[in-house]
Amino acid sequence: MIESRNKVLSFAEKTSDQLPTMLERLFVAARSDAVYSQPVISGNYTVITASEVTAGGGFGSGAGFGPATSSSQKERPDEEGSQAEQANSGGGGIGGGGGSAGRPVAVIIIGPEGVAVKPVFDVTKIALAGITAWITMLAMFRKVRKMSRG
Amino acid sequence: MRLKDQFQVQTVVGQPVIVGDISVTPQSQAIIIRLPIGGFVWNRPTDLLVEQGGQAKRIPIRDLTRILQLGLLGFCVVLSIVRLMKFSQRKEFRP
Repeated sequence: MIESRNKVLSFAEKTSDQLPTMLERLFVAARSDAVYSQPVISGNYTVITASEVTAGGGFGSGAGFGPATSSSQKERPDEEGSQAEQANSGGGGIGGGGGSAGRPVAVIIIGPEGVAVKPVFDVTKIALAGITAWITMLAMFRKVRKMSRG
Repeated sequence: MRLKDQFQVQTVVGQPVIVGDISVTPQSQAIIIRLPIGGFVWNRPTDLLVEQGGQAKRIPIRDLTRILQLGLLGFCVVLSIVRLMKFSQRKEFRP
């Protein structure tokens, strides 16, 4: 049992050492090359896309040890080895999650005429925001109308 | 860990792209939240520094989708406030 306890502890220690390294990978999104793409050359024109990047993540770990008395052990407390087992039972775990998202904001065109920045419209996002705003307002107006009548 | 280490706003300057006599240096703004149990990064393009023929100019990158979204939200809030004000006025004048 002591061996398995040490195993759990060493595993928890190992993973908690690795977590800051994993977290550092998340902060790669803060670099400029995460936002601006590699230039694409087509004829006289060079095109670069600029995107908004969002990334986030979290993790947690835990381990615990303590007495784990089963009903049979409670009934027979004098049994040999039961105390040692009670003192050494436990376990540990680790978990985490994360995600990232990117959305094109503009296209940069470098050509013979100079530099032009063309914005990118996300019609789906605008439509969703419009629908949500419309439904919220409609619900609120209905409530106000009900209150004024009542 | 201090608040300064946990919450950072950084202006990130990228590698300049040189095409002919034009040099374009992209810039972005990153908001970084570092916590002992995780983190969050929001990085958005802000502007371009264009150098051509010894002259330098800054071209801003506007996020029209975000501007429209915020505009819709603002319109909603204003309309709701107006409606509520009208409702409260009507209630005051009721005999």
